[in-house]
Amino acid sequence: MGLKKRTKVNAQFNMSSLTDIIFLLLIFFMLTSSMVVPNALNLRMPGKSKTITNQPKYLPTEIKITRKGNYYLNGSKASLLGIEKAVRKTVRERGKFSLVVIPDDNVANERVVAILDIAYRYQIDAIMTDPK
Amino acid sequence: MKKRNKISAEFSMSSLTDIIFLLLIFFMLTSSMVQINVQLAESNSKTVAPSDLIVMMSQDGKMSFNGKPVSGSSLQSRVNGELGQMTNKENASISIVAEVGVPWRKINDVIVIAKNLGIKAHIATQPVKS
Repeated sequence: MGLKKRTKVNAQFNMSSLTDIIFLLLIFFMLTSSMVVPNALNLRMPGKSKTITNQPKYLPTEIKITRKGNYYLNGSKASLLGIEKAVRKTVRERGKFSLVVIPDDNVANERVVAILDIAYRYQIDAIMTDPK
Repeated sequence: MKKRNKISAEFSMSSLTDIIFLLLIFFMLTSSMVQINVQLAESNSKTVAPSDLIVMMSQDGKMSFNGKPVSGSSLQSRVNGELGQMTNKENASISIVAEVGVPWRKINDVIVIAKNLGIKAHIATQPVKS
């Protein structure tokens, strides 16, 4: 019988598909591992900072935060939105200025961070006072 | 004359797979280690919180430093001890990871400790939910 096998079965294993899946998983975990790290607001310590701060031309704006989390902008009660509007207006009219934040020592931290966030967004200095 | 050695032109991907697999395991482990299950104050900051000195505070008054429970009075000595082992002391920074509702005075105490030790401080936040 002069019959010959025409098709030769390739016994080699191709790893490229496995590499594709592992690479996809690697990218997924790389992205998610950076997402779970929280963001942070940088605090500048007195006498430690090398950054030149903008010297305010006007009197700084004072924000008091009460124990219950109410805001007082220069002595009058204000909402967070109202404070942001006032800050935006002042930045537009005067340029950079400083916010003096006077929190009550028992106020929830997120109420203070909300003010620090406004200062961060408008690139102005928020000076924290020690509640003690 | 015949060529005796036949050079294989095939490329073996197994070494590449090994490296990628190693990196995959590394990121899988680190992503589960850094997970923080507390609700933080919200901000628009994009700065990533440094992870060398982490002070965590929960609403029930518990405080931990680098994963180990600590009291408010012993925090400064613990931070100082950890700082002594660090090589890059100039850029050391305390990350304050405080759950929402933690009173500001507790955060202020940690800021004062950072000031006393001459190191930076960050308040950890989470992105604003729209």
